Amino acid sequence: MIFAQILISGFSLGSFYALIALGFSLIFGVTHAFNLAHGELILLSGYLAYYLWKFSGASPYWAVPVCLVVMPGAALLLNLLLRGVKAPFELNSLVITFGLALFLQNLMLWGFSADYRLIQPEMGRFLEAPGLRITETQVMLLLLSLAATGLTHWTLHHTFLGKALRAAIQDRRAALLAGINVRRMGLVAFGFGGMLIGVAGPLYAQTMYLYPAGGLEATLTAVVITIFAGVGRTRAILAGGWLLGVAESLATFLLGAGWRELVSAVLLIGLLIFRPHGILAKGEG
Amino acid sequence: MNKCRRFLLIVFLLPVILLTLTSVLWAAEPVKLGEINPLSGYLAKHGWEIHQGILYAVEEVNARGGLAGHRVELLSRDDRSSPEVAVNQAQELLYREKVVGLLGGYVDSLVGPISQLAARHRVPYVASASLQSALTRQWRNPYFFRVSKLEGIVEPLCQFISQTLKPQRVAILYMATPGSTEFATEVAGRLRRAGAALPLMEKFRPGARDFSVFLLKVKEAKADVLISGGFFPDNLILVRQMRERPVGLKAFIAPWGVAYPSFIEEMGPASEGLLGLCAWNPGVTMPGTEKESQAFVQGFRHRFGVEPNTTTMHGYTSARALLAALEKVLQKKEPLTGATICRELAGLDLLLPMERLKFDAYGDPMYYQQVVVQIQQRKMVVVYPPARATGRVQYPWDF
Repeated sequence: MIFAQILISGFSLGSFYALIALGFSLIFGVTHAFNLAHGELILLSGYLAYYLWKFSGASPYWAVPVCLVVMPGAALLLNLLLRGVKAPFELNSLVITFGLALFLQNLMLWGFSADYRLIQPEMGRFLEAPGLRITETQVMLLLLSLAATGLTHWTLHHTFLGKALRAAIQDRRAALLAGINVRRMGLVAFGFGGMLIGVAGPLYAQTMYLYPAGGLEATLTAVVITIFAGVGRTRAILAGGWLLGVAESLATFLLGAGWRELVSAVLLIGLLIFRPHGILAKGEG
Repeated sequence: MNKCRRFLLIVFLLPVILLTLTSVLWAAEPVKLGEINPLSGYLAKHGWEIHQGILYAVEEVNARGGLAGHRVELLSRDDRSSPEVAVNQAQELLYREKVVGLLGGYVDSLVGPISQLAARHRVPYVASASLQSALTRQWRNPYFFRVSKLEGIVEPLCQFISQTLKPQRVAILYMATPGSTEFATEVAGRLRRAGAALPLMEKFRPGARDFSVFLLKVKEAKADVLISGGFFPDNLILVRQMRERPVGLKAFIAPWGVAYPSFIEEMGPASEGLLGLCAWNPGVTMPGTEKESQAFVQGFRHRFGVEPNTTTMHGYTSARALLAALEKVLQKKEPLTGATICRELAGLDLLLPMERLKFDAYGDPMYYQQVVVQIQQRKMVVVYPPARATGRVQYPWDF
């Protein structure tokens, strides 16, 4: 039973990673904007959820729809900022979003202080089976990551808009020749990515702790999971998150907490060598 | 009419004379002090707390006329929680600003490099929060002083555990930092000698996101007591996960991060029964310093609008020590050199709210001793040592 408990911990941790990475991957895939301020946007969403929870006293999950509505606005502002960026776009977007990340960190330091914040789940809410306990946070992480991944995948694969987005991800020039408004697709990607950031924020505030400089860790997690998955592969993001989460949990159990990062690094290097196009890529590895 | 003109003349001249006198007084070259703290990054919370404590001490001195007529100028620098940046900032303060003394610092990985730089420049450095014994014992540095030491934490903690909790099996989780690692090794050695078994001892990197698997191992190891060498944010996650999935612990004790009003506020009812250590807190002060402690709390609240805590007091204490030494040098009309300031630091004997501050031959505080507190009804109750206890420990719990 202990291994089942470890797997649950691993899958919920992996779901958390996937939620952080989904928005980054989508925006990067469509627009090629390497958004180093991604983590800071998640933190902003987390702080919004934290204060909503703190002052309303309602369940933190009520903050999810609010963040879902607010955060696309922030992401679209970022899109506006990046619109005037000259070539080489990837490199310049990296520099601009790095500056933005520093700006947002200082803004949060000024606005929210350097204190660590954490949304406390209600104690005593869990699912229990003999020898197993799944907490409410773990259930919500699993459900919301599945829902977010499922919805993103469905949108990308079963709607006309999604097909246009995928075309922009796969080959921007070919998409332009096919009459797809790539710029508008960028706007859609930022809006949709903002919604995913809106979902990730409240869960970040509940799973991790918030502090103004914490965005870097979230951005790094998003980058690592995107490398694991391959750009624009939504299901692979969840699979990559789960793989990393389970590997970290098993490493902690079998080798000790100090080995966790080393195991992740080895896994990442191994994937880059043996499956450079992503964990679920077919015939490219 | 003449009377009226004379009155007007006095009214006009008096402020002019006062202003002139003040400016002449302050025109005496200011005493420049440098302060390096993590004001951004992972440790920013504690960096700001130390900074506010130091700033408060400097403002207090300036408000009463400075040091022998010299205004104190505090130059604050942010090390961004990174040792490389800490060294760069210290170099800037030493080379360009030519400060006569350095203050601040949180965790030994940030304090250590600055202490070596200070020694090379022969400038005294009074660290606010440093524990690693090698910094003073292994590399004897006559320019390095600090207001805290590891022994002041390990001793009360181990005595409390062996005398009060009397556990059979203890688990230790510690961070991969020099201070936390040495703390864990020292505590493990003492508890083993006291007869406790240590079935689990693990380290983790700062910023860990998940302790649930470690807690499973604690449960498997059937530990009675868990000692956490993590900081404030690590304990936030660890305690929350422990509360979500109890592992059968009778006590949870963390020297860093639990005995903070903000920790109690963030954790709410989940903080009940947790044990922590602190050197000072509003209401937890050195006997004989109650009035000074209360005045500090009120003044600090008025100045910053927040409640001071044990880390703030570490900053304040380090600044008080350096300022007192500087004042003595200036009163003797001697130049402010590394040698003169260090001589006065070595001879200090101050009774401050956090401790009686007297440095030993290595620059360590001789009387630094923390107390064990338990969170009861969302308040910090001192439960050890008995001489300073304000309540009885509630034990065992079921964490």
